[in-house]
Amino acid sequence: MANTDKNSYTIIFAIAMVIVVGSLLAFTASSLKPNIKENERMEKQQNILYAMGINGNKGEGDITFISTDKVSEVFASKISEQIVLEVKDGAILKQMNRDEFVKANNKEPYLIDIKKEQAKAKNGSSRFLPLFKGEQEGKTVYVAPIRGKGLWDAIWGFVALDKDMIVRGTYFDHKGETPGLGANIKQRYFMDDFYGERLLTDAGVFKGIAVAKGNNDPKNEDKDDYEVDALAGATITGDGVSAMIKKDLKLYLPYFKNLKK
Amino acid sequence: MEHVELFFKSIFIDNMVFAVFLGMCSYLAVSKKVATAVGLGAAVIFVLAITVPLNWLLDQYLLQPGALSWLGAEYADYDLGFLSFIMFIATIATMVQLVEIIVEKFSPSLYNSLGIFLPLIAVNCAILGGSLFMQAREIESLGLAFNYGISSGIGWFLAILAIAAIREKIRYSSVPPALRGLGITFIITGLMGIGFLSFGGMLTGGDEEEKPAKKVEATVKKVESKEDKKEEIAKNTKTIQ
Amino acid sequence: MALLSKKDAKLITDPLADNNPITIQVLGICSALAITAELKASLVMGIAVLFVLGVGNVVISLMRNIIPSKIRIIVQLIVVASLVIIVDQVLKAFAFELSKTLSVFIGLIITNCIIMGRFEAFALANGPWRSFLDGIGNALGYAVILLIVGFFRELLGSGTLFGIPVLGDAIEKTGLYATGYENNGFMLMPPMALIIVGLIIWVQRSRNKSLIED
Repeated sequence: MANTDKNSYTIIFAIAMVIVVGSLLAFTASSLKPNIKENERMEKQQNILYAMGINGNKGEGDITFISTDKVSEVFASKISEQIVLEVKDGAILKQMNRDEFVKANNKEPYLIDIKKEQAKAKNGSSRFLPLFKGEQEGKTVYVAPIRGKGLWDAIWGFVALDKDMIVRGTYFDHKGETPGLGANIKQRYFMDDFYGERLLTDAGVFKGIAVAKGNNDPKNEDKDDYEVDALAGATITGDGVSAMIKKDLKLYLPYFKNLKK
Repeated sequence: MEHVELFFKSIFIDNMVFAVFLGMCSYLAVSKKVATAVGLGAAVIFVLAITVPLNWLLDQYLLQPGALSWLGAEYADYDLGFLSFIMFIATIATMVQLVEIIVEKFSPSLYNSLGIFLPLIAVNCAILGGSLFMQAREIESLGLAFNYGISSGIGWFLAILAIAAIREKIRYSSVPPALRGLGITFIITGLMGIGFLSFGGMLTGGDEEEKPAKKVEATVKKVESKEDKKEEIAKNTKTIQ
Repeated sequence: MALLSKKDAKLITDPLADNNPITIQVLGICSALAITAELKASLVMGIAVLFVLGVGNVVISLMRNIIPSKIRIIVQLIVVASLVIIVDQVLKAFAFELSKTLSVFIGLIITNCIIMGRFEAFALANGPWRSFLDGIGNALGYAVILLIVGFFRELLGSGTLFGIPVLGDAIEKTGLYATGYENNGFMLMPPMALIIVGLIIWVQRSRNKSLIED
């Protein structure tokens, strides 16, 4: 074996390693990209449908999505309209339907990257707010995406609202919350608690829903308290959920106000 | 102000050891003596202070979706996010190796006492954790990233200093033989962690995102404010209960 | 055990008790704290580490004669990181559901010092077969502690095991809860994992006096 302590050897080895590892990673990433993109696309559709209550759940505690081979079809038939609002500083600048949006941006509205849109709003420019219209028990519901921060990393979700901004279903997910603690926002018992909770006061003021500790209502029967029961040992993740509901759903308030008129 | 806030927050509220339990392995293994603990703690501060800003630059100009747009508009669509782990860890490993070489040259005694744990700084999850938190929390400027690196390093330093001091004292106590050394250290750290949980409560107080919203809703706010006060009172009484 | 000589078998059995990576070598603590609130997560993490440590040890051992000593840490980290990233990407493309369950652990695996620790201490100096056995043994030793801690935390903290209620229903007050028993939410907090590991060390060293420190 060559003298592995020589500088020249070290440098050659490093260069060779970078080339080999770099090309290996780039090759896997680019060759698998179409599959990964497709999986992510289907996941978004599944999540939106799940939030509306269209799922394959069997029994208590089970979370089953519409299967991947059917999801595109179901999504097309159950989502009657995809609306995109362009907002700035709390005012709606423009409202587009799917065709208008696809024509202008060459992208399906449900694939809008919420992280990018939030960054746009932060920089002071206008952002897109997607909204998916569907039907639940004969009533129209609107599914809105939300995104925020948990303890470790990003958390996000979809919330289905009726025309009075009462929650008609949720789906939450996370990138890396602690298993057994914060990761439980993805559990049925947490998500289902939101059903029926109100976002607006009687006067029509936006109040949001707080994930509250010490809630005296563990079975969550009181739907008028703007609170759901917190998860044990996951204060920061819970606060993240409250914050993203409050911040992101508030943006839709002008739309729902127009709806009433 | 932003800097001061971040500084104290990362030292006490988000303490790497007691709040998020990162960097435990070297924390437990190299805390027998205050002198070595100080050495390792200083090394961690140094490495964090270098790697967090470096990785911030990598993240901003290479890894984020759309980060490559400085190369030209046609590169704007690339997303190299899948490389962030490997890029971060490569930066960290390089810096650690650099520190190792420097320490070996200038302080052989420190080098000998740190032994196997200097290479292990590379996988000290506090270091990678620092960079990943920086990415996840979307820290806004290079200055803040540097601040974040240093202050979380100081937090880690204080933690290992505290436990090393306790361990030096506890040698004179009658700990059950089987618990001596590592066992009691685990338990003390657990108790200190419970103590630090109380800092966590300070986080839940403020609502950061209220400020920008206020401007927009100046008109609505007037109506709201009365109700807000009532709510606040109600909230406060609830927490007291 | 006819396959393994006595010396080789020791590589697997030693880390299970007397040279356990967590309680004796003090490696891999962070992940042990983060994921043991739940038995299922402990099991998944144990299996993932078994895979990465087994394969990684073999790869490093095969490369041990050509790695320049000056940059060995970087080389080791890159081997683990690329291994994990490739597996992650493949899972994302072909087993999306599984990848979602595992994605949380990716970062924890790369920074798990048990992996680097074994690379440094064993794989760099030994042949592939022995390194493989060492990897498997240490990963099993690690998994055993995770499962013990996970068992107690989940049972006492949530009253469930693998997500299945075993003590009755906490809200409806049935089973053990009818007698006034309450879940100890504190068990779910990471500090309790530290304290449980401390107690495991206590038990282990009381049984094997040779492990007692000074």
